[in-house]
Amino acid sequence: MPHPDALQIEQLLYDEADCLDHADLNAWCELYTEDSDYWMPVSPEQTDPHRHISLFYDNRLMMEIRRRNFGHAFAASMEYAVRCSHIISNIRIASTDSDSRKCRVTSNFQAVVYYKQQRIYAGKYTHELVLVDEVYRIQHKRVDLINCDAEQENLVIYL
Amino acid sequence: MSKSVDLSRLRELVEPTRVHRHVYTDPNIFDLEMERIWDRAWIYVGHDSQTPQAGDFITAEIGMDPVIMVRGDDDEVRVLFNRCRHKGAKINAQCSGHADYFRCPYHGWTYRKDGTLRGVPAREGYTDTGFEVGNPSAGLIPLAQVDSIRGFVFASKSATTPDLRSYLGDAALTLENIADRAPAGIVEVAGGRLLYKHPCNWKMFVENLNDAMHPMIAHSSVGTAARNYMQSQPNGTVYPREAEILFPFGSSYEFFDKMGVSGLPNGHGFMGGSTSIHSAYSDIPGYWDAMVTSYGEARTMEILSSNRHITIFYLSFTAKDAIQAIRVVRPRAVNETIIETYHLKLVGAPEEMFERTILYSRLINSSSGLVGPDDLDCYSRLQEGLNSSSSDWVDMSRYAGQEKVSPHKRAATGTSDLASRNQFQAWLQLMAAEK
Repeated sequence: MPHPDALQIEQLLYDEADCLDHADLNAWCELYTEDSDYWMPVSPEQTDPHRHISLFYDNRLMMEIRRRNFGHAFAASMEYAVRCSHIISNIRIASTDSDSRKCRVTSNFQAVVYYKQQRIYAGKYTHELVLVDEVYRIQHKRVDLINCDAEQENLVIYL
Repeated sequence: MSKSVDLSRLRELVEPTRVHRHVYTDPNIFDLEMERIWDRAWIYVGHDSQTPQAGDFITAEIGMDPVIMVRGDDDEVRVLFNRCRHKGAKINAQCSGHADYFRCPYHGWTYRKDGTLRGVPAREGYTDTGFEVGNPSAGLIPLAQVDSIRGFVFASKSATTPDLRSYLGDAALTLENIADRAPAGIVEVAGGRLLYKHPCNWKMFVENLNDAMHPMIAHSSVGTAARNYMQSQPNGTVYPREAEILFPFGSSYEFFDKMGVSGLPNGHGFMGGSTSIHSAYSDIPGYWDAMVTSYGEARTMEILSSNRHITIFYLSFTAKDAIQAIRVVRPRAVNETIIETYHLKLVGAPEEMFERTILYSRLINSSSGLVGPDDLDCYSRLQEGLNSSSSDWVDMSRYAGQEKVSPHKRAATGTSDLASRNQFQAWLQLMAAEK
């Protein structure tokens, strides 16, 4: 398979959005590698997830705990429907490494999230993908909200 | 005083073991709280490490008042009302920064770092009006009292409120302990902040911090999810730090009872003392040695043996000594409160200590965390439920009358409602006191 394969990459981003639209964190986790992470900084231009607070910075362990907690009958915050609609556009392959079969892909997104009330989130995605057995998987995802440093209310699902 | 709330009604709202729902839901009571409690108490503003150089400033709110905390050329940290003396515009809209002087963006009045008026445009128009630029009273108005303990800056709008040390009493020991936990004896605010909007009355958040009856219910799911995942791992898997942080939220009633709860004068209080949900954390390499080098072994043991789970500096400030995370309460309306989280770096300690602080805060305090969202949802349910007139009363009777009383402290088993009772005693005192 040629690398990067723009069509496959685009399809992966849409597949991921579809998992989140349906709040299916189990299927969502399957798209990520075992050494993956998901990061939503709290400051624009934030460079460090370890020595600076973030809204989300989940490694695979936290993804596993979060998906088990999601919708849990004993969690007050989980007693509500979560429905989302993601629109992704402006997809660009920012860099490619043929040897490691990795590439970095940026895109713009808008996500309407219905959780108790309807809210709109918007910003930029940066996906770092790796081609494993001819299938792209997500190794790192960074979500830069345009209002990352604003007051936030509960955000119980990944964007 | 708000016309619609009279003194006799206030006293009817707070009984020894229950409070009327209106203390959480009535906008007139909220307005009165701003006037009588938030305008009198010592309110946390910021930490002096946030303004290290002359001209460095942060902005904050004291009740409904926007304020600027700024370091002057004389190295003094001042707290000034963030309101132009001309038409009243908020001068500084940034949350932090550096300024050689402050300039109102409306008509261009400028103020020096110490708040004094520097100049007004076209000043000839004020000739013979009685207004003088050089008049010291024409500057940005300073808060009546400003003081700090180990860099934690508090201010009060009232000149008659007792001094900060007297006001905080033994709660101040938590601030001392937090700074002592740094090998250099100094902490610095670092690593960004969280702003978390809560659709609830400010008192619900503050009360919950010393409520030990909720973790095993409200936070049980995350403990279960973490355990469930760890059990799916091969035998002998080392528990990661995330699990170490999440597991204790599901601790038993007995665990929290043993931790104990203490109430101090003026509504302050803390849980724990010798044990907390943080006391079983694994050691971070290099920290103990750095502490012993600074303090010697005996003093290090003494510093680290204090384990106040959460200290409430009633009403605006809460701190976890073993975690170095602080949360600040900024009320906006009767049913809206902003919770700000800041992080403290222990100067001289391994960076891994700060990384644990950040990890803890992300898992617990973030709006996308695994603990905060469940607390918030419970508060929003309280706010909705208390709109119901089906019953007017909110209970706080657990272990009432079973407190160990000493001159400056009341202590009880951890799952007692002592903290709520203690807070409302201070609340009523402040609310009912004439100016």
